[in-house]
Amino acid sequence: MDEPGRKEPHLGGNPYAYPTAERAAINVASAPAQADKHRSPVVFTASAGEYFRIWIVNLALTILTLGIYSAWAKVRKKRYFYSHTRIDDDGFEYRGNPVAILKGRIIAVILLAIYSFAGHFSPALKIVFVIFLAIAVPWLIVRSLAFNAFNSAYRNIRLHFGGTYGECFKVIVLYGLLTVISLGIGYPYLKAQLIRFAARNHHYGTTQFEIGSLTRSFYRTYLKAFGVLILSFIVLGITVAVLSFGLRVGNRGALPMGVGIPFAVAGYGGYLLLFAYLRARISNLTFNAITIGPVQFESTLRARDLAGLYVVNIVAIIATLGLATPWAVVRTLRYRAGKTILLVAGGLDSFVAGQARQVAATGEAVGEMFDFDIGL
Amino acid sequence: MTEFSAVYYDGRTSARTPVRVRALDHSLHLVGAELNIEVPFADVRVDARVGDTRRILSLPGGAQLHTDDHAALAALFPRANRLEAWVHELERRWGYALAALMLIAGAAWWSVTLGLPVVAKWVADFVPIDIEGRLGAETLYALDKSLCTRSALGADRQQALQKLLGTLTSGLNDRYPYHLEFRACGAVGPNAFALPGGAIVVTDALIKLAQNDPQIAAVLAHEIGHVRRRHGLRLALQSAGAAALIAALAGDAVSITGLAVILPTALLQNGYSREFENEADADAFRRLKAIGLSPKYFAEIMMRLEDYHAKSGGRQDGDTRDTATGKGALDYLSTHPATAERIARALANQ
Repeated sequence: MDEPGRKEPHLGGNPYAYPTAERAAINVASAPAQADKHRSPVVFTASAGEYFRIWIVNLALTILTLGIYSAWAKVRKKRYFYSHTRIDDDGFEYRGNPVAILKGRIIAVILLAIYSFAGHFSPALKIVFVIFLAIAVPWLIVRSLAFNAFNSAYRNIRLHFGGTYGECFKVIVLYGLLTVISLGIGYPYLKAQLIRFAARNHHYGTTQFEIGSLTRSFYRTYLKAFGVLILSFIVLGITVAVLSFGLRVGNRGALPMGVGIPFAVAGYGGYLLLFAYLRARISNLTFNAITIGPVQFESTLRARDLAGLYVVNIVAIIATLGLATPWAVVRTLRYRAGKTILLVAGGLDSFVAGQARQVAATGEAVGEMFDFDIGL
Repeated sequence: MTEFSAVYYDGRTSARTPVRVRALDHSLHLVGAELNIEVPFADVRVDARVGDTRRILSLPGGAQLHTDDHAALAALFPRANRLEAWVHELERRWGYALAALMLIAGAAWWSVTLGLPVVAKWVADFVPIDIEGRLGAETLYALDKSLCTRSALGADRQQALQKLLGTLTSGLNDRYPYHLEFRACGAVGPNAFALPGGAIVVTDALIKLAQNDPQIAAVLAHEIGHVRRRHGLRLALQSAGAAALIAALAGDAVSITGLAVILPTALLQNGYSREFENEADADAFRRLKAIGLSPKYFAEIMMRLEDYHAKSGGRQDGDTRDTATGKGALDYLSTHPATAERIARALANQ
């Protein structure tokens, strides 16, 4: 597909922050001389105890106001996490307006109610709604990314998302259909294109994100995961067959209850490990392919770390009836931040602000309700 | 005089300028490298505090000051963001966190035990009977696809039982088109299900298990209670509500684990259905007496059912593994803990 680094900014005519010559100089300097680059780690400074209090107080206020306060709660939580995510001692800033989020949520609730009732009353109506959703989903994704970008800032410079509906529609619907028709073989391509779409339409100030091709590396990753999955199915199948045969001789019947438990644990553990592997790899590949002006990333998440994190989180959350949730969220974010380093040529001082338009929160809120995962 | 350190960002580039800020009578005075400006207090907007995160002051023209000096800001802007400042005071102390926790636990307990059933009943009242019937038809379709096949019962016998149902439902005046659906559902064993909308599924095994028609009538009377009180629809609504509630409470956790939502929902469903059983039982006793039958028949068929489950370990496939018996009975009891109680109540109601 597109070759990295050769694209000119194409959306909204947004000028690149750096003059072409300067940019070329950066590009030339970046590849061979990694040593010239300053390494700025992403530091996450939130504390689980403090976040627990914020979380629980805001939850109580949400209940007391019958959900209306939830928009304010969301903004406070986001502001807390953004501010505690620091690069070179500067935190991020979340500027979302609770009223905008509340409006979006009300629309989302109405849509969700229509959707769930439509299905019960008439299957035909549900089909109409699904078609409507197919048309609306790209819009929701674009709006959601735009709202989040518009309300995120670092060093008083906003992010900006310039992706268009048409482009998003092409990725989601066209490549989505391709994935279905090809029985899933097209999925890594869809995922790669979706991430590329999301990434390269972001701007930090006037500096547009660039992202290299992900298709080949995504295919390698998914193939590996798929191979491991098939292999473990075969091994598991053989083991069960051998065991049940062996036991049948002695015990005139099916497997005793206890035998199933190790298999269930192994199966669930394997699934979790695979999930963590994909998470880690996709995340690393994505970040490592992104360039923002003089900035590149070094993301080194490890599958087994993530899997361990998830297992402990799940056990802790269930054991505490959900009270460990803030702790689980904080430690997961801390791990992710700790494995991300910025490689900066020169410094972070020369980004230039652009003009940005106000964006409604509807897309984001609806997307949240329907649980879209854009994977970035 | 208040003075504090901050970093100045002009909003045009990402450059940072460390500054010293001094508060004058009506303005802030910023001094840093190549920077010396004065900003009237009226033009400064300070953000609300969240935890101990760095504070941001918005200056005219899109510039910002970032500082960690909470004390200085509290002194300079004592009245800013009063509502969120109050929220911050709540968030700061463990005592309030504990109070919040108790409030949440109380609200969750209340809504699950009292609120949800009331809301579900209220919503169910808005659902027309023919739509309930369509839901029931879908459920029956699913049963036919998975567990049940055609009944082996003769046409005469089927007609006689339909008539029995007619006797039981005569004079109810509730517009439900009551009718029996006979099925052979091997794995299910002797059982009957009230579908939303008036259909009652009866398994061949149940007909075989009953010693006489009054015992069958007792079961049918119980199922009629489920239909009339719209238990199927209400249970579905309550479970959906509980799942939504737990998802809302767990919030961030949902992305981490779906299990945390499913597990308590299943447990709640169990509790709800037990209450519905008791309601349907009470209806059945009344119904039976109305047509001149004793509730003792209900007790009899319940005892036979319990016997059946204890003997076969809840299985119907001819497998007489003695090792499974203990587990099967335990399984049955965990979902029907109050069977003995229900039998006693039927006998007391004679």
